[in-house]
Amino acid sequence: MNVKKIIKTVFFTEIIKGMALTLKSMFTHAVTRQYPEEKRPAMPGFRGMHAFVRDPETGREKCIACGLCAAICPSQCIYIYTSEGPDNKKVAERYEIEVLRCIYCAFCVEACPVGAIALTEHFEYSDYSRDALYMDKERLLSNWDKYMAGPRGEEYFKKFWHPVSADFQAYDGQPVFKRG
Amino acid sequence: MSFFETIFAPGAVDIMLNIGIILIKIAVVVGIVMAHVAYATYFERKVIGHMQVRLGPMRVGFHGLLQPIADFTKLFFKEDIIPANADKPIFYVAPVISLLAALSSLAVIPFFEGFVVANLNIGILFILAMSSLGAYGIVMSGWASNSKYSFLGGLRSSAQVISYEVAMGLSLVGVMIMAGSMNLTDIVKAQEAYPLKAFIFPQFLGFFVFIVAAFAETNRTPFDLPEAESELVAGYFVEYSGMRFALFYAAEYIGMIIMACLASICFLGGWNGPFEIPYVPFAWLLIKVYFFIFLYYWVRATVPRYRYDQLMGLGWKVLIPLALLNITITGLIKILV
Repeated sequence: MNVKKIIKTVFFTEIIKGMALTLKSMFTHAVTRQYPEEKRPAMPGFRGMHAFVRDPETGREKCIACGLCAAICPSQCIYIYTSEGPDNKKVAERYEIEVLRCIYCAFCVEACPVGAIALTEHFEYSDYSRDALYMDKERLLSNWDKYMAGPRGEEYFKKFWHPVSADFQAYDGQPVFKRG
Repeated sequence: MSFFETIFAPGAVDIMLNIGIILIKIAVVVGIVMAHVAYATYFERKVIGHMQVRLGPMRVGFHGLLQPIADFTKLFFKEDIIPANADKPIFYVAPVISLLAALSSLAVIPFFEGFVVANLNIGILFILAMSSLGAYGIVMSGWASNSKYSFLGGLRSSAQVISYEVAMGLSLVGVMIMAGSMNLTDIVKAQEAYPLKAFIFPQFLGFFVFIVAAFAETNRTPFDLPEAESELVAGYFVEYSGMRFALFYAAEYIGMIIMACLASICFLGGWNGPFEIPYVPFAWLLIKVYFFIFLYYWVRATVPRYRYDQLMGLGWKVLIPLALLNITITGLIKILV
């Protein structure tokens, strides 16, 4: 043991260094976020509660009942019951999402050819019953009105939910999904 | 002689008055110390929280100031669980012994000039005896719980307390030699002749040994092997719940306060300070005790736990020789000068 090490041991240099550090960090600001009072803003592209995009033209959902969202859903939590609507069009008679089983992968949003379904920034929806988290068409539409209506929804639509098929130029005669 | 004559006989009145005064003193001391214990838990969480860049308790009251009251209420109304195979009488009596030993040490501590519950001539000896009695509570609880974790905690604690008791007693011998008394009031008065009215400069070696031994004696980090949270869950009081758990907890914090008081009185001059603080005779003692309690938290937030052989090595191979060296030097100076 050389002299330096003896001095280090006798005067607790290392412990004193550590104590200085803890004392210093005592007077720095805590990094804790006081959650319910101090909310963290949702990052762009946040995947929260589901919503049905309300079409500004018709005032109804954009869904064309193709069933792609239900087909791609990894947790199989989307249920679609179709029927024949006015002028022989296929419409979703019932469109239901079991939110408790959803894993928020947003595959349904990616799969949707018309951009009818969206994930909002809303994430604080805990409840006491399962029924409260079982979304039907009307509740999905009201989610849109509550959390995504207006410019925010438009911005999200442009950035994240723009359906791939919208930019897709098909040749004549190729079957494509179309609204209307 | 009738009953009233017995009570109001000239000597009896004095005795009754004395007993009354002592009872009031006891009530005041226990009340104040218990309030300090409650808020010591709060400030421990707060200080360690801030040292770890967290906030600590924030929810109950303004910045969590009512947290100790909430904790106490919760502990008071919790179910008192006793393990099926526990040794019941010992299980019941262990926390009481712990708390009793801790509380009775308070009797000999002088808080300011003339304010001490029992002005004992062997004050230091009494405190040392009580702190080793407290170890019985720990050992008994470890045994009675009939659980391997609490048993290991109890064993570790007994070994640790025995080892560090020696070093602590020896570190105080220097103070006794210099003061020529074991009475804590006399020790404070003896320090008035020294620089800053404290023994810390001539007794720095003893002070160092005492502080380290006090950490070990109260089972605090870095010597918290008896209750090592990360290996023994909680150590000797794993099986305790509700109010019995609270008794152990209170005993631990009272032990901390007593060790802080003892360090302030024996080495830092007790209620005397560099200058007088008017109207508050105990102000200096309070400041010193708060500093030592803060030191407990500070060290807990910084230093990791010692390994068991390191603990024993430090106790027997470093602290006891240092304390003996201190006694030799102090004794030689006392004889020669």
